[in-house]
Amino acid sequence: MKEASVVAWDGPTRVFKWALVFVVVDGWISNKYGGGFPAWHKLNGYTALVLIVFRILWGFVGGSTARFGSFVAMPGKVMAYLADKKKFLGHNPLGGWMVVALLALVLAMATTGLFSGDEDRLIIDGPLAKTVSDATVESAALWHRRIFTAIELFVLVHIAANVIYALTSREPLIRAMITGRKPAEDYADMPAAEPGPWGRALACLAVAAFIVLAPIYIVGGRLL
Amino acid sequence: MKLKIATIVGLAVAFSGVAVAQTDVIAQRKAILKQVGEATKPIAAMMKGEAPFDQAVVQKSLGLIADDAKKLPALFPADSKTGGDTAALPKIWEDKAKFEDLFAKLAAAATAAQGTIKDQASLKANMGSVFGACKSCHDDFRAKKS
Repeated sequence: MKEASVVAWDGPTRVFKWALVFVVVDGWISNKYGGGFPAWHKLNGYTALVLIVFRILWGFVGGSTARFGSFVAMPGKVMAYLADKKKFLGHNPLGGWMVVALLALVLAMATTGLFSGDEDRLIIDGPLAKTVSDATVESAALWHRRIFTAIELFVLVHIAANVIYALTSREPLIRAMITGRKPAEDYADMPAAEPGPWGRALACLAVAAFIVLAPIYIVGGRLL
Repeated sequence: MKLKIATIVGLAVAFSGVAVAQTDVIAQRKAILKQVGEATKPIAAMMKGEAPFDQAVVQKSLGLIADDAKKLPALFPADSKTGGDTAALPKIWEDKAKFEDLFAKLAAAATAAQGTIKDQASLKANMGSVFGACKSCHDDFRAKKS
């Protein structure tokens, strides 16, 4: 009874995706309930930055459906998709932009966090807060809050869209992001994904960790 | 006519008296909160490793924080919602029980920390509940500057 299925998302892309969900949720929890443990929120922020940089690298050298070239679509393609609603194996032209938006928002969120500090500059401050003026710290903190509101809105739309697709167009999008497989069909982008190898993903992760942590440590003098 | 003037003067004095009382209490609580912040500063520096651990300073600061946390709830009477450049949010008076409970938590946490902190390691391990109480109250009940 097993339907024919094809690879849609490689392992690293899926692990990244759910890890990103985790850091967004944990970022909120560590702020709300970890007020006394600044290291928790800061570690979460570094993890978010490393993940995003990893995903940017993976967008060039990762599995075929994870590559930006395969899903970042020109507006004309988005309009065409809205008209014909063809099925895509990877991100559809509209959903691709949601991915770009979410990545950009989390990147901005974590970056503003590096320069933010609490109002009294007592309990928590980002590792780079001391390298900028107080006014910059204040505006970084303001944007850190504003961007979170934006993330909440985009996440809501993102979840709603996926649930609606899963229910109405019988596309098991959420399941595919867990199992990595989708039913074999006549997809508009590609018939099956070519997964990116794990070794390459680990290399990307190591490079991402270095790109993120080394400059912060050198400029800020500390991480926690 | 004289009576009228006397009444007006009397009323004016009475009103300004009330106004003074309100700004007074606001000034008082601002001063105490400022003191709490100042007491926290050296501890925060020790936590970050920017200053050496100093048991005497930690004990004194925590004692001050615990005392201040007990004084503060009385300094938010219903007639002190505005004025005096207060950062108090109206939510304080809408959820007074939670607001006062946070001060009780802060006092308890500071007293408990006083008993357990002996060195840098126990400082790091035990300040969380104090800082957490500061933050949860500021998050919900203090207006943001920007």
